[in-house]
Amino acid sequence: MAKFLLYRILQAIFVVIVVTLIVSFAIRLTGDPAVMLAQGAGSITEADLARIREALGLNQSFLAQYIGFLRGLVVGDFGRSFMGGTPVSDLIGRALPATLALAFASLFVSIVVSIPLGIKAAVSRGRWPDQMIRIFSLIGLSFPNFWLAIMLVLLLSITFNLLPPSGMEGFSSFIMPAATMGIILTATNVRLVRTTMLDTLRSQYIMVARAKGLSNNVVLYKHALRNCSIPLITYFGLQFGGLLGGIVVVERVFNWPGLGTLAFEAVSARDYPVLQGVITVLSLMIISINLLVDIAYGLVDPRVRKE
Amino acid sequence: MQRTKRILNSAIAGVALSVALSASAQAGTLTIASPQDPGTWDPIDTFLVNWASVATNIFDGLTYRGPDLELVPGLATEWEELDDGTRIRFTLREGVTFHNDEAFNAEAVKFTFDRLLGDEGAQGPQRSNYTAIESVEVIDDYTVDFHLNEPDPVLLTKLAGYGAMIVPPEYLAEHGDDHFNTHPVGTGPFKVVEYNPREDVQLEAFAEHWGGAPKLDGVTYRFISEPSTAVAELQSGRVDIVIPPTIPIGMIDTINNHDEASIVSVPSPTVEAIRFNTQSGITADERVRKAMIMAVDRQAIIDSILAGEGEMIASFQGAQSFGNDPEMEPLPFDPQQARQLLDEAGVEPGATVQIDVRGNDATFGEVAQVVASYLQGVGITASIQPYETNVLLNDIIPAGRTGEMFQQKWGGWTFDFDNTAYLMYHTGERWNPYDSDAELDEMLEAQRSITDQDEREELLQAIARYTQDRALEMPLYSINALYGVRDRVQSFEPAPDNRMRLTDVDVAD
Repeated sequence: MAKFLLYRILQAIFVVIVVTLIVSFAIRLTGDPAVMLAQGAGSITEADLARIREALGLNQSFLAQYIGFLRGLVVGDFGRSFMGGTPVSDLIGRALPATLALAFASLFVSIVVSIPLGIKAAVSRGRWPDQMIRIFSLIGLSFPNFWLAIMLVLLLSITFNLLPPSGMEGFSSFIMPAATMGIILTATNVRLVRTTMLDTLRSQYIMVARAKGLSNNVVLYKHALRNCSIPLITYFGLQFGGLLGGIVVVERVFNWPGLGTLAFEAVSARDYPVLQGVITVLSLMIISINLLVDIAYGLVDPRVRKE
Repeated sequence: MQRTKRILNSAIAGVALSVALSASAQAGTLTIASPQDPGTWDPIDTFLVNWASVATNIFDGLTYRGPDLELVPGLATEWEELDDGTRIRFTLREGVTFHNDEAFNAEAVKFTFDRLLGDEGAQGPQRSNYTAIESVEVIDDYTVDFHLNEPDPVLLTKLAGYGAMIVPPEYLAEHGDDHFNTHPVGTGPFKVVEYNPREDVQLEAFAEHWGGAPKLDGVTYRFISEPSTAVAELQSGRVDIVIPPTIPIGMIDTINNHDEASIVSVPSPTVEAIRFNTQSGITADERVRKAMIMAVDRQAIIDSILAGEGEMIASFQGAQSFGNDPEMEPLPFDPQQARQLLDEAGVEPGATVQIDVRGNDATFGEVAQVVASYLQGVGITASIQPYETNVLLNDIIPAGRTGEMFQQKWGGWTFDFDNTAYLMYHTGERWNPYDSDAELDEMLEAQRSITDQDEREELLQAIARYTQDRALEMPLYSINALYGVRDRVQSFEPAPDNRMRLTDVDVAD
């Protein structure tokens, strides 16, 4: 286990270096932030620009800047935003909980809905509940999330004035963004649960369990669901990673103060340190989630634990 | 199943509860949606108009300019130009305190400008606007002399905003620059009580303000960059005012059709033009440029695409700009004469031009298409090339890599044609990648050293006519600043430059 963890940590370091190197390099191709900061200031001279670049540390070579970034990273210092000089760690510290909360809420919505529906579809395979669930899942899959988000706002905020259209202020502001993400995830997850469940239900131990005379619910939820859980956990885990990255559009529509909004604004403002920081944190999280998924296998499956 | 039902029930109860709790607007406080968080409130750090829309309530300058655009006393009660305009003596207002009870005096003024022109200022974008100031000398507690390197005819206006806002020396010495960025202290009518980066900034009335206590108890600015989200907040009543530049033309009707909100508009300093590559291609010929301007019915564009929220311009400035000549007419819409001019210039039907535009500017995208179809009418085929805005502004235009024509949107808060003309037409400036005209350069330089304002206005008007004679750009229109305002907001006066003081604004409940 120790060897496995060490290997994983080395792998994580390598991935972070590659990812940040690509991001740092790519964002510098978008142009000069000093010009962005200065435009609108009226007359601006090359000397002014040079002073601003120096203040931002942009007069150094790319390699020097990147090494500086890595050095800061080791002690948890992501540098300062070009827009106003707020420490990037402060910005991420504010945005990360908001994104995590929304991602958890969305995943929760989708799991709570998709597992019972998926099982229902599997046991009534080919009959009308299955057909209905599959049609609804197809409809859910076909919604673009920004469209769904805007429709929800129009209906629930503007027409009926029930929910706040944006921001993060308490439980009510979670409903629409979590539902938007959740509905789309559910559509995929229902199909996954159904397929996995169908496979499991065909296996011999299920027949044995039924032959023993166990009740239908015990067979389904105790034996079948537990065996389904390995592929499902893998999938939900990876989905959570994907969620963190894919949440940008929904965050923007709902003005959610999360990492997506932060990254989006950093790209448009050429705010290198903020973007580098957000991407580093995201990649670290995705790496950790993969690790947790591996560990979770062991918890649900004794076979993996013994290996 | 029983459990699921219970979870579902408690979730529904939760929704009902939170709906009941989300009381919309609070009495005595105003909520404003602003499209951008400047990230810092220090006046020397930023040039953003959305910094100014908040900060004009936190800070004061020596002079003040309200929505009527008249310069009036601010922290200085009077001023006098001495030594041929190279020295200005200011008499300061007595009995003014900063939000932290620190006294405002001549030392604070000197400190502010030493800081702006010194090392701290050098790291930010504001300094270059104030380089005419050589030094500030304290004469006594309430008198200061500004020594100038050269006369700056726009200086008094510049002292009313941005980098010239007076900051508290003791507070800065005690807490440092970083703290000041997020916990600003000024002498303005509102003080900052809480700032949540990228989310909101909350202000509270400063009852001791020298101009009288504000009517509101407090103001919250929420940062919402997505226009449709800001408008949804306005419709649902959780935001009272949406400030520019947020509301797109296409949403005007949505807001005006709402029972409790409407659009309030005011002419802004922002003007749009399609500028020409005067160096190469068919647009190098002055006759061709004139023909293209005459081929386009600009008034029709304003009426149909801008929903009337704009005004035709004859040169690259709006009606309120110092240097605008109300007598000067735009070139007429005359396709007949346009065709004739193209004939003279030897342009064959089917000649092509490219118009570079900002890709995210949907309204201008439509404008460009209409321009292209008018040009088609005189036998010129125009293609439209959209760029990401920052790329167009920072890489394409300054490098002279545009097509024959390119969109330029411009607006200076000083409302002085100098700011526009010098940067657009003087040889070697970043916004002038193609043209070089010695006569124009001379006029542009001359007006900078004239302190007699009437004489300077005449010269700026002459510059405007000169640019029209040479058809350096196709002037299109000045656009209105659009505010979305809930009916509960009282005594709201829209500011053309987006710097709204909220002292007299109130809310009805």
